[in-house]
Amino acid sequence: MSAVVTPRAAPSAVPTEAPRDGWAAVFALARFETRKLLTRLPTLVAFTVYVAWIVWHATRSWDDHPALQNVDRVTQSVPPLVGLAVLLCANSAGLRSRRHGTEPHFAVLPLQPWRRTAAHALSVVPAALLTAVCVAGQFTWEALKPGAVGHGSPAELAVGPLTVLLFGATGVLLARLVRSAFAAPLLTVCFLFLFVLGTGTSGDDATGWLTPSVPQLGPTLPSGLLDRPAAWHALYLLGAALTAAVLAVLVAGARHWTVRAGLALTLALALTGAVAQAAGVSPSPETTAARERASVTPEKEQTCVERGRSRYCAFPEWTAWTGSWAGVVDRVQSLAGGTASTQGLVVRQRVEARYGLESDSALAPSATAHQVTVGTEWGGNRVPEFATAVAAVLVAGSEKAASDMCDGRMVTVMWLSVGWQDDPLDVLRRVRLDDSLKGAAVVLAPTDPLLMTSDVTTVVRNLLAKPRAEVTAKVKEHWAELTAPGVTSARAARLLGVTAPKAADTCGE
Amino acid sequence: MRGVTRALMAPVWRTLPWRTLGAAGGVGLLLAATARVSGTGGEPDRWSTLTLLRAAALAGALGLAFLLDDPARHTTAAVPARRPVRQALRAALVAPFAALWWAAALCLAPAAARPPVGDITLEAAVACVLAPACAAAVVRLTDRARPGRAVAAALLAAAVLAPLLLPDRWALFAGTDDVRWEAAHDRWAVLLAGAVTLWATCAPDPLRRRLRSRLRLRRRPPSRSARAGSA
Repeated sequence: MSAVVTPRAAPSAVPTEAPRDGWAAVFALARFETRKLLTRLPTLVAFTVYVAWIVWHATRSWDDHPALQNVDRVTQSVPPLVGLAVLLCANSAGLRSRRHGTEPHFAVLPLQPWRRTAAHALSVVPAALLTAVCVAGQFTWEALKPGAVGHGSPAELAVGPLTVLLFGATGVLLARLVRSAFAAPLLTVCFLFLFVLGTGTSGDDATGWLTPSVPQLGPTLPSGLLDRPAAWHALYLLGAALTAAVLAVLVAGARHWTVRAGLALTLALALTGAVAQAAGVSPSPETTAARERASVTPEKEQTCVERGRSRYCAFPEWTAWTGSWAGVVDRVQSLAGGTASTQGLVVRQRVEARYGLESDSALAPSATAHQVTVGTEWGGNRVPEFATAVAAVLVAGSEKAASDMCDGRMVTVMWLSVGWQDDPLDVLRRVRLDDSLKGAAVVLAPTDPLLMTSDVTTVVRNLLAKPRAEVTAKVKEHWAELTAPGVTSARAARLLGVTAPKAADTCGE
Repeated sequence: MRGVTRALMAPVWRTLPWRTLGAAGGVGLLLAATARVSGTGGEPDRWSTLTLLRAAALAGALGLAFLLDDPARHTTAAVPARRPVRQALRAALVAPFAALWWAAALCLAPAAARPPVGDITLEAAVACVLAPACAAAVVRLTDRARPGRAVAAALLAAAVLAPLLLPDRWALFAGTDDVRWEAAHDRWAVLLAGAVTLWATCAPDPLRRRLRSRLRLRRRPPSRSARAGSA
């Protein structure tokens, strides 16, 4: 008889232990779902592509001088794709029991449907954490490069992982709202084209900031001039992700007051973030004034360093690069002759921040004598472009005078600009806009571009074919004649001892 | 055979995944209509219109990936109408609606920013033929009754990864102002031919596999009896 009573007593213990066991089971299920989620093919492919992109992006040879206030926004560009994969997989996991017809089996378990939904929502968190690790890795990699300058913002770095969290939670919510396996792919298509490929709106208005990532990547600016509502945006994303997760739990049948209170709280978070970021979309009057100041009178903001004969003025975040600039100036000057070889220059960093973050507006050439403009980017093509500007100022006297130059002096400018490089022909091709080595072409510079006529191109190529020491000696010997306004490229060629072109220079062609 | 086809028409019509196709079409039209409100300063943007039309085509193609889903696949294998006939019937029943839907999507896109109609229709056709062609391949190569989900996922992955990973020489997703537009559409035409070929190759019932399974059946009993003998 007692044998019958004892088993009856055992079930009475279940209700008292249910809450603790319930949560233990939720966490156990969340662990299982996490493993499933991270080993599904779409997630694996997405993370593989993401890591490959990080490695490719960080090892590009022209990207060895990153500005960290841009790097943090670059980290936002690929996580939405990872998020879409997580959305698909989380949604598919949420519908698995229905798809396999195991829903009735689960109904007999003590784990209620809303707890299972909570486990699905929790399973998205490790994917977001993994994204955070990738973002942190990418940022650290860039920050550890010797040429790195500027400051990153933690709020900008948080956007990538929070996007993954938001998309994953949306997938779980969708599984509870629409019991069709087809809803997630369709939602993915909409998200892909509206949010990821950015066909919807721009970052200039408040609705544009409702999309998960708003990189607004334009020219590099000092971090003090950015004034993006990044922290509010991160709060908005966190609030939206938590709202989606709590709503999914609520839809799955949790009617407890804490869940309702949680929904109200997370909704309040999301709304606070959305409203506050909308208020911060247009720059404050102080920022506008600071941008104006940095664009028009940069000398008031900059610190200057004397190196050799020249002065290098940079915004405080960029002073580490003055050594690289000085190296280029010294090499260009070593090829020059006359007073130009000892002329002290002012190298001034300039930005154009008045037209917003995304507009890539050109800098006007400086009219000040012996002043060279340098931009906020360095490495790759920026180096020969700067060398061209230095050479043009040495030959013509100022950037303004150099931009009107159309005669044989361009031969000397281009020789000074590329003659000192290890592979001058390759550099010459890269610095020309159409990547050619024949005919006329526009030559890029930090301010207005210069023009190489086809004669100049021929003479410069002939010069580059000769030994460097020989040409350098001739340039120094005939410096005054070579830099006299109105000299033809044929005359320059004869002075330098290379074959002269037959036609005359014409810039209007 | 014609009588059988006519008799099949009504049941096939009923088994078509109309709700999925309807949802896909609806989302596609919604995306195409978004092109009217997007763009800066009220002026429709050519690039975003093109991208949204591509999105609409992709949504439609995702719906069509479910076209060959047939829960009764294993029971209908024995009907006298062969699989190519049944698949062609499904396609023929859906094709007029798909054409109407695409015309509507084109009309919804703002006229000022609409890409060349023939070329964008070619792109949409590739997506909408490739999806059921892949489904036909899955049906042919596996025993799955519902290839739709897997094909939709693969198509989605291809649509995300192809613009990212395709080298410049094989570029498909060119802009209307791009010099590669013409060459890209030659490639799209090749892809359409490839998709049609894939479907035509995969539509017939496999003969060889049946042969192989028959051989396997013939081989098995001796081995089982041998094992029984050794025990």
